Amino acid sequence: MTRIDPETRIPDPIELDRAEEDRLRSVAGLLPLRTESGEYAGFEQVGIPDRPPQTDRERDVYSLGEGEMLVNMGPQHPSTHGVMRLVVKVRGEIIVDIDPVLGYLHRGIEKLCENATYTTVLTYVDPMDYLSTMHNEHAPAIAFEKLYGIRAPRRAEYIRALVVELNRIFSHGLMMGFLALDMGGITPILYAFINRDEIVDMLSAISGQRMLFNFFRVGGVNFDMNDEFLSRLGTWRGRVLKNIEMNEGLITGNEIFRSRTINMGTLSGQDAISLGVTGPNLRASGVPFDVRKAKPYSIYNELEFEIITQSGGDSYSRYLQRIAEIKQSIHLIDQIIDKMPHGPVQAQVPGIIRPKPGRAYGAVESPRGLYSVYAISDGGPNPYRFRMRDPSFISLQALPKLMPGRLVADTMAVMASFDPVMGGVDK
Amino acid sequence: MRLLTERTDIGLRDLWTDEDTVEFQVDAPRAHDVLRTLRDDPDLAFFMLADAAAVDYGIGQRFEVVYHLFSWKHPGWLRIRAHVDRAEPRIASITDLWEGAMFHEREMYDMMGIVFDGNRDLRRIYMSPDYRSFPQRRDFVLPDDAADSSAAGVNPLERPETWDLTLFNRAPAVTFPTSELRDDAPGEAVEDGTTLADTSRPR
Repeated sequence: MTRIDPETRIPDPIELDRAEEDRLRSVAGLLPLRTESGEYAGFEQVGIPDRPPQTDRERDVYSLGEGEMLVNMGPQHPSTHGVMRLVVKVRGEIIVDIDPVLGYLHRGIEKLCENATYTTVLTYVDPMDYLSTMHNEHAPAIAFEKLYGIRAPRRAEYIRALVVELNRIFSHGLMMGFLALDMGGITPILYAFINRDEIVDMLSAISGQRMLFNFFRVGGVNFDMNDEFLSRLGTWRGRVLKNIEMNEGLITGNEIFRSRTINMGTLSGQDAISLGVTGPNLRASGVPFDVRKAKPYSIYNELEFEIITQSGGDSYSRYLQRIAEIKQSIHLIDQIIDKMPHGPVQAQVPGIIRPKPGRAYGAVESPRGLYSVYAISDGGPNPYRFRMRDPSFISLQALPKLMPGRLVADTMAVMASFDPVMGGVDK
Repeated sequence: MRLLTERTDIGLRDLWTDEDTVEFQVDAPRAHDVLRTLRDDPDLAFFMLADAAAVDYGIGQRFEVVYHLFSWKHPGWLRIRAHVDRAEPRIASITDLWEGAMFHEREMYDMMGIVFDGNRDLRRIYMSPDYRSFPQRRDFVLPDDAADSSAAGVNPLERPETWDLTLFNRAPAVTFPTSELRDDAPGEAVEDGTTLADTSRPR
């Protein structure tokens, strides 16, 4: 252990690592981070960053050809679904290239979680993908239970499956609304929010919180189902199909909607796999991959359902896929309620969990795709390493691949069909 | 799994399993070949890259780049841990196998400082381009930590002398409740093997 002299200031880590990074880049044959001043032409041009390009790809995007210009979409753009900047290179109104610039919402949740106990990690992951909070908690709960070597009681697993399916329904419902909103139709989002508020009120009755539920615990869930939750569930179940179908009727047949989504942003199954796109977006391209079937977790191997796929791979298929999955989730909820066992909802777990040193991987099917957690324990009360793979972060890579050759106005329509949430993208 | 262990030509070693994961370790120079074989071999067909993440095992230890793969023909997740030298953190990029590895590798470069040979777009992704530190390394000192903070000295725990408990014991007239002891304060081990911070933390 080194003694720290109170008079000594800690050396600035930034200066220490600057030389290290330059050395590493030169060994790898990458472009240097700095060149002599005046050598770089971009200093004078509007829209080009006032520093030399750091990679080949950046140099390609930021060097302009004849008649091309750069447009910043964001970071405060109303339809970027959060805070994100798209640098769009356009020739007239045709997109030539797109460079997504991330990090405006970066909170370092992985680092925070490495300094939190296992129980409190489940509260830190909530605001990540804020439209699928229950799924965010589910994956770490699975990973930590594997690390600690316990299982949640069966009733807890059923309640978990119930709340994540409810969460999936309102997330997909909101996607329908946002997709229409980004094309100028304001009504569907209002109906989507009516449906969402019913579910959120229901979940707040069971968890005590309205948006960041903080409902899962290592070894179970926080509360058992109560009367208010069940009565709200019954009321909602009676009218949800009518609500969804009404909203669907507003959007699906709309001529503007159809002409702006059909054959727009078409992603083949091969490309989708290569790009790491998962979830409904991958299934809309015809690949039947669903974590609930591929690697069944929780109690999904006791439920009957088929993987739904679409063949188109365009924005319209991704929209239809969401509707089909809403109906599938309602079907799953009916089964879960029928099979709900009796018993405790929380295993006996100490206040501070100290798993044995080891590694665990927990993956769930979130509304946006494969959401997974890789946790390493060193025997202490905090995870040694806590890694989250957020599906919308990875799916965002499809945008620069799909958009060249399309119109600027279609960028947001295609992006909304992938349903990214920036809280998850930026972690 | 039997299929994997029989395929000795791939170069996998150190088999380890848990309830739904099979894990192997490789050295960094072999990682790209191993992943390509796993993806392209029709018997294995690990067509999907589920995750790619970096782990820092501390100063004097090593980095690991951890890949999780999925295949229809295999009952579990496959985890490949590639050992990377911490003094020379380089590994071949797999963006030629999976385009989607691009954001994974940019994040690993941004957070851990691992350089991926052959990656065409190795820029920072979360931090700003002029940032020079690697925040998820274990030896990263937070810039707003204790001594640099404008509130330094207000809370006795933020004084540099309290970081070393031997100095702290000699320092006069500074008291604090033990329950506030930070986990990362250099703790003196008490008899039963736990540290002061551990026993005093409220449940």
